[in-house]
Amino acid sequence: MVKPYTGSFGKPELMHLLRRTLFGVSPSDLKFFEGKSLNEVVDYLLDIPTSPPSPPIRAYQGKALTTFDSGVPFGETWVNTRPLDTEQSPNGARRASYKQWWLQLMSGQNRNLREKMVLFWHNHLVTDTNDTVDVPALAYRYNVLLRSNCTGNFRKLMYDITIDGAMLRYLNGERNTASAPDENYGRELQELFCIGKGPESKYTEEDVKAAARVLTGWTILYNDNWNILFRPNRHDAKDKQFSSFYGNKIIKGDPSATGGANEINELLNMIFANPETAKFIARKFFTFFVYYDINKDVESNLILPLADVFTSSNFEIKPLLKALFTSELFFKSEYRGAMIKSPADYTIGMTRQMEIAWPAEPLAFEARYFFASQLYNYINAQGQEIGDPPNVAGWPAYYQTPSFYEIWVDTATYPPRLTLNDALVVKNLNTGNANSTNWVNAESKSKIFKIDPISFVSKLSDASNPNQLIDDLVFYFYGVSISKSIKESLKLTFLLRGQSTDYYWTDAYNNYINNPTNPNSEGRQVPKQLQDLIAYMFSAAEYHLH
Amino acid sequence: MNRRNFIKHTATAATVIGGHPLYADHTNPMVQALMEMMYNTDRVLIIIQQNGGNDGLNTIFPLDQYDNLKAARSNMLMPATSILKLTDKTGIHPAMEGVYNLFKDGKAGVVQSVGYPSFNYSHFRATDIWLTGSDADEYLDSGWAGRYLNYEYPNYPVGFPNTTMPDPLAIRVGESVGLGLQMMGVNMGISINSASDPLDLTGSIFKDPATNNYVGKELSYLREVQRQTDKFGDVIVAAYSKSATKSTKYPANSLANQLKIVARLIAGGLKTRIYWVSLGGFDTHSNQVDVSDYTKGTHANLLKSLSDNITAFMDDTKLMGLEDRIAGFSFSEFGRRIKSNASQGTDHGSAIPVIYFGKNINSQVIGSNPVIPSTVSTGSNLPMLYDFRSIYGSFLNQWFCVPQTDVDKLLHDKFQNLPILKTTNCLSTATHDDNVNSGKAVIKIYPNPFVDRATLEYESDGGMLRIQILNNLGSVIKSMVNREVAKGKYTIDIDLEGQSNGIYYIRWENGPLSQVKPMVKVK
Repeated sequence: MVKPYTGSFGKPELMHLLRRTLFGVSPSDLKFFEGKSLNEVVDYLLDIPTSPPSPPIRAYQGKALTTFDSGVPFGETWVNTRPLDTEQSPNGARRASYKQWWLQLMSGQNRNLREKMVLFWHNHLVTDTNDTVDVPALAYRYNVLLRSNCTGNFRKLMYDITIDGAMLRYLNGERNTASAPDENYGRELQELFCIGKGPESKYTEEDVKAAARVLTGWTILYNDNWNILFRPNRHDAKDKQFSSFYGNKIIKGDPSATGGANEINELLNMIFANPETAKFIARKFFTFFVYYDINKDVESNLILPLADVFTSSNFEIKPLLKALFTSELFFKSEYRGAMIKSPADYTIGMTRQMEIAWPAEPLAFEARYFFASQLYNYINAQGQEIGDPPNVAGWPAYYQTPSFYEIWVDTATYPPRLTLNDALVVKNLNTGNANSTNWVNAESKSKIFKIDPISFVSKLSDASNPNQLIDDLVFYFYGVSISKSIKESLKLTFLLRGQSTDYYWTDAYNNYINNPTNPNSEGRQVPKQLQDLIAYMFSAAEYHLH
Repeated sequence: MNRRNFIKHTATAATVIGGHPLYADHTNPMVQALMEMMYNTDRVLIIIQQNGGNDGLNTIFPLDQYDNLKAARSNMLMPATSILKLTDKTGIHPAMEGVYNLFKDGKAGVVQSVGYPSFNYSHFRATDIWLTGSDADEYLDSGWAGRYLNYEYPNYPVGFPNTTMPDPLAIRVGESVGLGLQMMGVNMGISINSASDPLDLTGSIFKDPATNNYVGKELSYLREVQRQTDKFGDVIVAAYSKSATKSTKYPANSLANQLKIVARLIAGGLKTRIYWVSLGGFDTHSNQVDVSDYTKGTHANLLKSLSDNITAFMDDTKLMGLEDRIAGFSFSEFGRRIKSNASQGTDHGSAIPVIYFGKNINSQVIGSNPVIPSTVSTGSNLPMLYDFRSIYGSFLNQWFCVPQTDVDKLLHDKFQNLPILKTTNCLSTATHDDNVNSGKAVIKIYPNPFVDRATLEYESDGGMLRIQILNNLGSVIKSMVNREVAKGKYTIDIDLEGQSNGIYYIRWENGPLSQVKPMVKVK
């Protein structure tokens, strides 16, 4: 049994839980959950709608509506429309649209675990968007598959992903036939998706070959809305013999029209019956949500009990996650603030944490897709190309010993983090002036995306008190403790600007808040002071931890 | 290949300068002299910011107004006999004996009643006015020193550090960079800590020790990456480590720690132009003086710290052999009221005296004493005699050799040029041109040095383009392009066959951009 956390569940514990389960924690998030018990919060986070959000739409920039992807009307979705052969391929624009759509879902996430889980599964059950898959509609469907099953049943998810169009392309399943078997998926199904490479993982090369034969016969109908079809005539209908690791299991060849599905079910049952699968997934969750050092204590007191929870619930994901997020180990002080933020956490987290407002008008979707494209590029520059992990193993930060998360930050990827700070705190993302000809809809003109320091601090407990303000900012910005003397320096440098009495700030702040359009000379400096303070606090090494 | 490297790597190439065959060997003193002339501006400006509003009338005393001042400040003005006389009419606080001695040695001076029309009495706003060099009703988003550094190094920070400027343009010790050194949101300088541990020199305010656990492990890792990506971290630590503090006169306080670092960085060879340090606590609303002895108390202690530190810094840099290169001044956002208040303090006021120092300054009291009326109200203030921007302009013109017309542009108006510095031999503008050209590379010449022919590669944003070749004397010997061009990358052949060997300059002008690059023709 997983040892539950029984300590007090106050603001620090709530923050730790939310930091790991949401992209960034805003004052409104905290306010929403404050006062709820640990169980209530976790239940809320795990209460995830299974219905997919509305699909990505045509908001391509600078593409003529009548000659480029002209089968897709402006503002309508492209996901079920085959590109016209007579036109230039719109796949590049569609792929970008898909990624921008996804980014908006992350930054605009509800207060539940869905977006973190979609990214988790994307890292675990990797496909790409650009290189191999290259069919934007399939990339989109893959995403929908992950999000609708993200906290459902893992066995069902594995069945669906095995015959998912993007995966059939990415790991060559569509080319895996009886006459020319392709072992790619059969191998990764065991090595990377289910069994893993733990010390007791002893499947054999013969098991890889046998699995590959089970998986033969699946194809994609490119001329029929990229639907998936099982072709019995391409399926290897002979028996498949597995090793002693799988109890010398034999999967009988099934030549029927449902033979492919039947055999996959048998294969998954066999793999899931092996205890390695539950342990492997439990370790992956720990590495994604807690920390990467799986020592003996973690293995025996958390991983093994979590694996039991997983197995006994017949691989339902929610009970496992609930046990993890309510465990004693999850709240252990040494894990709090010990995770280096991924580029997605860093960037999207900043947009949510600071409650940056996206353009809200329904018709301003071009502006939203444009800002999403810019944020996507910032994340990419920091070393995480969402939708296109480096390879089938996912991002090295989640598996590469001994560095793990540290891989996210190096001399090449650290400066882009500072560039993002600069872009969102000091400068802004914008859609240009009212005369811009880039946008079809006028609603997308003159839109700005940036941190509003006044609006942000007004949500804190008392921004007019410089000590309270610094305390609150430290609380929101850092998952680690900051000493009193450093808080004092921040106050002195940025709020009191070298003066020695607190009321200089209080007067200035109150003056600005009461006369925002016509502050006195002290009040006038308040937004700039807050901007400098936030920019500086973002530049601390501590800000990269959560 | 950059210019320094070409000197290093082309030891066998020979050229002729001034009739002498010159082998491009970096150990050749003549080549070194040439390179130094091109790169070195060794003058350093020290700015000391006194936070809080310094009581100028308890710092520099108008001795000829003593009785009126006594009437206004009966509860705190020290006896006239205690005041040290700089001149017959003007005295200085006895706690500033160090500055008094510097004055007598010809190394310190005072500008009286510095300010601006219609004072602002808010610390924040008044500080911003001083830092930006704005009018009282004008809001600027760049600092006066930031604008100067941008004028000198317009490409910064793109392409920096480089061989022309391998070091930070400016360094603020102990605090964040601040508006004074900003240019449109860009920090033109860097800030370093005042801690004495050299490893902590380039750190930020955030210096909690890393704990011995997972958090500490990751924090240490992140800080190491920060250090590695800090463009100037290594040069600062290296410069700091190269020398040691020589003077024993420093007091034990924060300003001393800041100035010790500054002296060591200068001695360590940094080409940094401006160092900015600060001393807080001048907001003396109450208990400014000791009730039993008006020469003592809080304000006296602050002045003593300021004075002892300036003295120690001058001593330190003299012992380091740097004295010729140092000049500086101290300022505060405003002075204080003429009349003292009932709690033996003074409230926010207006004009202040500015103390300046250095071996190459004119040691004098510039300007007449402020006039203290026989009766003053609590609101009475000193009018300004000199605009504070005259201090900036005088240093820019006389110390950094910025032509007066450019000074006027940087300060957004014409201000009096005060005789703060001795007549100096300003270097030719070659140094300035070199700085202006450093950073973002829009023109490239290769090979360089060259025999007869070279290629010029440049990137244009479009518009009117002029390319000229100048000889060593600055005369145009060839005009290569003089027409409108489209945006794009271009290459053009330079053919100097038949011309004598030596240094030539390519002058490239395109719209608002203009760059000059040297090229060396060898046999």
